[in-house]
Amino acid sequence: MVSKVTKVVNSQGFHMRPATVFVGEMAKFQSDINLVCEGKTVNAKSLMNIIASAIKCGMEVEVTADGPDEEAALAKAVEMIDNGLGED
Amino acid sequence: MLKGIAASEGIGIGKVVTIRQQKVTYEQRQVADPDGETERLHDAIEQFKERTEALAQEMEKSVNPKEAEIIRGHMVMLSDPFMVSQMDDMIKNDSICAEAAAETVLDMFKMMFASAEDELTQQRATDVEDIKTRLLKILLGIEEADLKTLPAGTVLVVNDLTPSMTAELNRDNIAAIVTESGGLTSHSAILSRALEIPAVLSVLNATVTLKDSSTVIVDGSNGEVINDPAVSQVEEYEARRDEYLKEKEMLKSFIGRETLTLDGAKKEVFCNIGNPKDGIQAKERDGEGVGLFRTEFLFMDRDSMPDEQEQYEAYKKVCDTLEGKTIIIRTLDVGGDKEIPYMNLVKEENPFLGFRAVRYCLQNEEQYKLQLRALIRANNDTTGNLWIMVPMVTTVGEMKAVRAMVSDLAEEMDMKMPKVGTMIETPAAFVIADVLAKYCDFFSIGTNDLTQYIMACDRGNSNVAYLYKAYDPAVLRAIRRIIESGIDAGIPVGMCGEAAADPLLIPMLISFGLEEFSVSPTSVLKTRSEIARWSKAEADRITDDVMALETAGEVYDYLMKNVAK
Repeated sequence: MVSKVTKVVNSQGFHMRPATVFVGEMAKFQSDINLVCEGKTVNAKSLMNIIASAIKCGMEVEVTADGPDEEAALAKAVEMIDNGLGED
Repeated sequence: MLKGIAASEGIGIGKVVTIRQQKVTYEQRQVADPDGETERLHDAIEQFKERTEALAQEMEKSVNPKEAEIIRGHMVMLSDPFMVSQMDDMIKNDSICAEAAAETVLDMFKMMFASAEDELTQQRATDVEDIKTRLLKILLGIEEADLKTLPAGTVLVVNDLTPSMTAELNRDNIAAIVTESGGLTSHSAILSRALEIPAVLSVLNATVTLKDSSTVIVDGSNGEVINDPAVSQVEEYEARRDEYLKEKEMLKSFIGRETLTLDGAKKEVFCNIGNPKDGIQAKERDGEGVGLFRTEFLFMDRDSMPDEQEQYEAYKKVCDTLEGKTIIIRTLDVGGDKEIPYMNLVKEENPFLGFRAVRYCLQNEEQYKLQLRALIRANNDTTGNLWIMVPMVTTVGEMKAVRAMVSDLAEEMDMKMPKVGTMIETPAAFVIADVLAKYCDFFSIGTNDLTQYIMACDRGNSNVAYLYKAYDPAVLRAIRRIIESGIDAGIPVGMCGEAAADPLLIPMLISFGLEEFSVSPTSVLKTRSEIARWSKAEADRITDDVMALETAGEVYDYLMKNVAK
């Protein structure tokens, strides 16, 4: 398993639109991917669970990935979060 | 009369059609063939997606693409494989029917969303409820109420306007919408505004009180619903509706136009905004720039200071949204009346005269530098023309100190120096405006605080609120003096208080020489149209008369008689 801590920078956080884009990308990986935020662990491939977690701008998030393509999955997830989840 | 939330402007008069979303009921069954039941669930989900896509396509045509996205979101939500597998597991493990499995899981998410701390997530609970009701109807073979065939002049009364209902509405036939739930930022509100249908929301017991086919008046501008109105009332409101529609058409003709006085002098109408999202509204409402971006939102409702990067993103976003336009950003204006726990501000006896705004920032230099660095970077990295505005200045020393900080930081970062100016809102700043102008690249008059400080009255205190009037000769003289000082020094002068959007004061502001009027996004077109009514000569005539008057009352009466339309 690999993991990295990063921070949500886009103003809306993990809301509907950014979360949809994020989940769509995560679904392409075989690894199990999770977001750990304020003690809660959330499945990064589940839109509903991500929205329910209400992860907001400025919060620290640990991304973990476990599986055959874990390195690539982690890199992609962190890249997307750092780039503001495609929010315009 | 019934009161509710004024969610979408305009007046609608028509006959009530109540749509009661009855609770979808079913008997929970044990199933003998869980695999068959799972298949039934998946078929229903597929059908849900097909219908939703069809609705979304209709909505793109009838409303607009942005609103259609709300309803496409429902498809995405119900496509969550982990949520669906939870439903599958329940059917398999507990042998319960598809309806019960779907309802249990969706209710769980609804609860989770509703109990979240932020409003946006809470609103998603309404979406989950909408998804649940429609999915259950598909499973049970219940037909949706047909909203397409509602007759012309319908006042639609519903418990809650769901996105799926909105997609089916024929807007030409709907005079107004009344709901029992929903706030200003709910789907019901957003959708009715997008459809330009007057709407009053959260009217208690509306579906019971308002009787089918009775006539009602819905005033979406004031949040009022008049049940069984008298003939004279109907006539009165018809006249007001026609007036409103005429005004709306007239204002539309000002979209995309330059702001010009009657004799062709160029002015600018900017917007006051409170967060980066408002920037989008400023653009949509045709603002020519941002005259006041309050940055407090970044600092409030959280446990720690936003870092430089987060601030930078927010400032950059507004500059990007309003490409190439002037964006005036006010640095942190905190004080004893706004609570920000991590800043350790003590409660003060007299917060408006206390440790606030630039006074606080200059005592907390490191913290202030973070904001200034973020502003310098945002200005450097965008085509935006970002100006830094310092609030609550009372002395030249404060202005010099901030300028020195900005200039040192810009040099250190090897970036261009943004314009730095002040918000003139204290009596001291007005009295020394001619001196302050030497250290400012621009002035912006904050009439709300300026009025309060000049009149020495707390506008929140009802015993003295009568003194709080921008029409007072004292305030008008101050405004004139500030604008003249700016003009003499050759720096631009704007105004970002409520007075800038007051049609009664606009001729005087033109006469004084104000260049930039910063107003709320919804007032841009109105302000532009008011400016277009006046030539300099005519405005000067009004000003000469007004400046000879002695009291706020006299000024107001004169303006009502000679300026109001």
